Amino acid sequence: MRKTTTKNSWLIDRRTCLKGLGAALALPLLESMGWAETPAKGAAAWKPPVRLGFMYMPHGVIMDRFWPKDAEAFRGAPLPPIIASLAPVRDRCLMVKGISGIPIAPFNGGPHALELSTWLTATLPDADRRASIHIGISADQIAANYVGGMTALPSLELATMPQTHKENQEGLNENYYSHCSYRSPTQPVPAEVNPGAVFRRLFQGRDQGPAKNADAQNLSTDAALDRSLLDLVLGGAKDLRGRLGRADQQKIDEYLDGVRALERRIASIERRQRDGDQAGDARRRDGDSPLIEVAIPDGDVKGRSPEASQFVRRSGDGETEIKRSEYMQVMCDLTVLAFQADITRVSTYIGSTPNGASYPELGFSDQHHSQTHYGTDQVKIDKVAKINTLNVEQFAYMVQKMANLKEGAGTLLDNSIMMWGSGLENGDKHERNNLPFVIAGKGGGTVNTGRFITNVKGNQGDLLGTLLTAAGIPLDRPIGIGTKVITEMLVG
Amino acid sequence: MSRPLTVSRVLVGTFLAGLTSTLVLQASDAAPGVPTTQAQAQEIFTKQVKPFLETYCSDCHGEKKSKGEFTYRYAIKYAGSPAFRQLWNHAAASVKAEDMPPEKEKKKPTAVERTMFSDWVAGMKYLSPKDPGQFVIRRLSKIEYGNTLRDLFGVDPRAAAILPDEVFGAGYSNSLSPLLMEQYLLVANSVLDQVFAKAGQPPTAVEQRIFTARPGNGVDERAAAQKIANDLARRAYRRPVSAAELQVLLSAFDLGKKHGRDFRESVRLVVKAVLVSPQFIFITPVSDDEPKPGVVALDDHQLAARLSYFLWATMPDAELMALADQGRLRDPTVLAAQTRRLLSDTRSRALFDGFGAQWLGIDKLAGKTFDPDKFPEMTPSLRQSMYDEARLLFDSIVREDRSVRTFVEADYTFADAKLGALFYGMKIDGEGMQRVKLTNANRGGILTMPGVLATTSFPNRTSPVNRGVWVLEHVLGEHVPPAPANVPALEKQDQSKVATLTLRQRTELHRTDPVCNNCHKILDPIGFGLENFDAIGRWRERDESGGAVDASGELPGKQRFSTPQELKRIIVARLDDLCHNLTGRMLAYALCRQLEGYDEIVVDGLVSNIAKDGHRMQNLVVAVVTSYPFMNRRIGDLPGAGNEKNDNKK
Repeated sequence: MRKTTTKNSWLIDRRTCLKGLGAALALPLLESMGWAETPAKGAAAWKPPVRLGFMYMPHGVIMDRFWPKDAEAFRGAPLPPIIASLAPVRDRCLMVKGISGIPIAPFNGGPHALELSTWLTATLPDADRRASIHIGISADQIAANYVGGMTALPSLELATMPQTHKENQEGLNENYYSHCSYRSPTQPVPAEVNPGAVFRRLFQGRDQGPAKNADAQNLSTDAALDRSLLDLVLGGAKDLRGRLGRADQQKIDEYLDGVRALERRIASIERRQRDGDQAGDARRRDGDSPLIEVAIPDGDVKGRSPEASQFVRRSGDGETEIKRSEYMQVMCDLTVLAFQADITRVSTYIGSTPNGASYPELGFSDQHHSQTHYGTDQVKIDKVAKINTLNVEQFAYMVQKMANLKEGAGTLLDNSIMMWGSGLENGDKHERNNLPFVIAGKGGGTVNTGRFITNVKGNQGDLLGTLLTAAGIPLDRPIGIGTKVITEMLVG
Repeated sequence: MSRPLTVSRVLVGTFLAGLTSTLVLQASDAAPGVPTTQAQAQEIFTKQVKPFLETYCSDCHGEKKSKGEFTYRYAIKYAGSPAFRQLWNHAAASVKAEDMPPEKEKKKPTAVERTMFSDWVAGMKYLSPKDPGQFVIRRLSKIEYGNTLRDLFGVDPRAAAILPDEVFGAGYSNSLSPLLMEQYLLVANSVLDQVFAKAGQPPTAVEQRIFTARPGNGVDERAAAQKIANDLARRAYRRPVSAAELQVLLSAFDLGKKHGRDFRESVRLVVKAVLVSPQFIFITPVSDDEPKPGVVALDDHQLAARLSYFLWATMPDAELMALADQGRLRDPTVLAAQTRRLLSDTRSRALFDGFGAQWLGIDKLAGKTFDPDKFPEMTPSLRQSMYDEARLLFDSIVREDRSVRTFVEADYTFADAKLGALFYGMKIDGEGMQRVKLTNANRGGILTMPGVLATTSFPNRTSPVNRGVWVLEHVLGEHVPPAPANVPALEKQDQSKVATLTLRQRTELHRTDPVCNNCHKILDPIGFGLENFDAIGRWRERDESGGAVDASGELPGKQRFSTPQELKRIIVARLDDLCHNLTGRMLAYALCRQLEGYDEIVVDGLVSNIAKDGHRMQNLVVAVVTSYPFMNRRIGDLPGAGNEKNDNKK
């Protein structure tokens, strides 16, 4: 790992960076270190930042309809049905077979509680404290700790199912079912499920992206007041912290962390408002594509249970369920928009949680999980394959959109690393020897795409460490069970 | 909530245990049985369990080895620690099922030794030191936060709707993320916009209530602001406000003045500061001292908040606060009276929405998929009525202080016109849900309630197995292990051979396999006993195949039944198990954590008290509220609790 970090010697030391992130005045500091958030237009040395995105589907795949026959088949032949939608961008995709998941003993009875929570952590929960959250910081949050200070949002977490599933496997905390991002070993990061709320968050409550200059002045004063107010409250919280026991102090630390992130965000909004550049136009060069337009359906996710994850659109005289694929695509669009406008550089997107969505548009209403213990049942196998295909299609939709957006010398996809995958090899036997996943994007020229590497020996932690390395994130320790960088995946 | 009480990883059905206990005793007269005191558990541990482990297990799972990633190396040092409960249960299950030691080992324990070991594990709760559990300051849940805003500012609790939905109760994640913090600020802004009238408009009623002082008549602005801040923060923080805390709020006022805001706008900043403070977002203790590790009693205000959020999912009202101020709330008589008062208030509906619905699993009904061709009736509005039926039954048992057995054998229910026509063959006049007397004893109670029956079904048919599991887990509190992976579903059976069989006959086919039969001999009869109810809970005489429903069955112990009514009678005979299950789940919900170790002894004690007075529901809730873990908290680790292992790791 160390070796790859020295390659990027222009990066500031991580510790310095983390220290900087804690302070409200972090941004000028970063600017002084050459991390200007807003580079001079047309500055030659400036390279678009690398974006890192993860998209999840539970329960694994029908393996023989997912993996190409061999390396040659990936390049030339029609792709297997589940990944056929990636054909137009196959030269910018990378498939790697042979990545094993973390062995889940002693939680053998909890495959679904762990498939999502170990996916980006490559770490098992602490068995002795399993009823609360004790796992590892996830790869996306490691990245967010490093690059998150450069953007208005350190990271974006999306889902299309509420994270409220209650089922107890092996005594594990129920939140392990529905969370993939962990800001610290004890802090699951919630995801947003409502596209409207996501959009408002990206553009701070405004219907249109860019702020109107007319009220920018007022907003800016309010923002400055908010920041001072939070500073006061922060001081009070520190005082409270001193009067509490150790475990309570950890909770206050989470609060302090949240307030600091909020202050940083307000500072970033203030500056954009001051520059009249809320959509990050200054960061895009003349040749770059304009920001994509996203049609946000007005409505909400209906039902009290997570399985009721259909989005219901409100219109003049009533409510209509939109297709699951349509709902999933809006979240894809929002990810692309957030990346394009450089509002964040790190995202996770839980396409569905392991309790299983249903996909009526495929012609059957069964929940995903109910079909995955298929044995040799062809009907179920076909249904699962259809669900797999639909999920990869949404990912393909997202990365193709990115491939069509010009940025710098290439496209947004060229400057990104997008991973689609599952935490189980297959849902029938819960195996984890060959995790299914696809990488799309060149990571600014670090990822060696257009290939299918058929026989890598590595694990989930190695994979995550490799992707972060490719994204220029220096690591001071392996991720979870990882031990190495998988150099075959990288250029040079 | 689904399994707060870890009884065992294997199905230790009391049906089964009841049947076999005499046999076991005869066969194992050398085994000491389940220990019932700490001394006994300790003695058996030293004299028998340790040598047992040394003889049969240490080669693979002892001090140096952890084959299969399993070692008792740490557990043996802290045998009574709740941290290792799962580990011992796992070990006992493997030993009991003769999975361990493996076939190839020469040294194998005798049946007597195996029984000794699993009995000891069953009784090891008695090794747990007296411990109320660690109580970490708790963030308000989304629901609680919305309700608290309503009570403080008269706003619609949906002001909190932008917060992410979350698991609540025992599996609740007490953590805070930057996203949440951002949303708290957004919510604060929208609340302020509702509370403070726009410039030029007359002040809102809430605004007038907030301004408990005005400058003038010798009162300067800052003094008025101080009174306002103190009065508001006292309610919002649910406890007296310290001088330092008040100072922070006054600084917010000063900040406004410094930026040229007028008195009113500066007070607005104070309110905002309150709303984003950790003292509002978390329930925090009042103490001014740095706490020392150990067990302490909850202070009166913390107790008031815990009680109020448990039963109402909102902040304490004036009466509770006044009792806390007077230091009287910890008086058991006062606390019990307050519990009953809160239960009889309509706000206690929160107890069903937060707890009851999860207990029954009926919170899943709204989002459950049903085949629209087969069950076009399952509209959102019907589902809502089905949910309300369960809610009103629960409420009636609570408010009328009925026996817990009413949950199984109620002779009344609640129905509107739709429910009446579809499920009860009754014509119900008037608007909305009404209480109705049931004459058909096959109906009534949670076992045969449409909402519950529908919750356990597949989209297109009933699942007798799911219904059996539901009764065992949700009603009787047993743990049913998941089916081994790769079990063929019914649909996989040779269709030509089973086409003429009823679902029951088809399900019974799998019981010829002894591996399956072990659990299914208990699960299936219960499910079959409910086969007269279709997948959404309507009465039927014939199932989908057209064959007549055979709802008769026999449970271990030669307990025969032939109708749902008779099945209910068998279930209600296990009233203590029902009561134990309900009490345990409710305690876990009240504490916002899973139960472990010493909690199990607490529940045993509560249940025996509840039983003495007719299993009355309000007594049950009072017992939970006045229990040791509810009224006390542990700060830091207990010495020797087994967590040293983790601390050394860091």
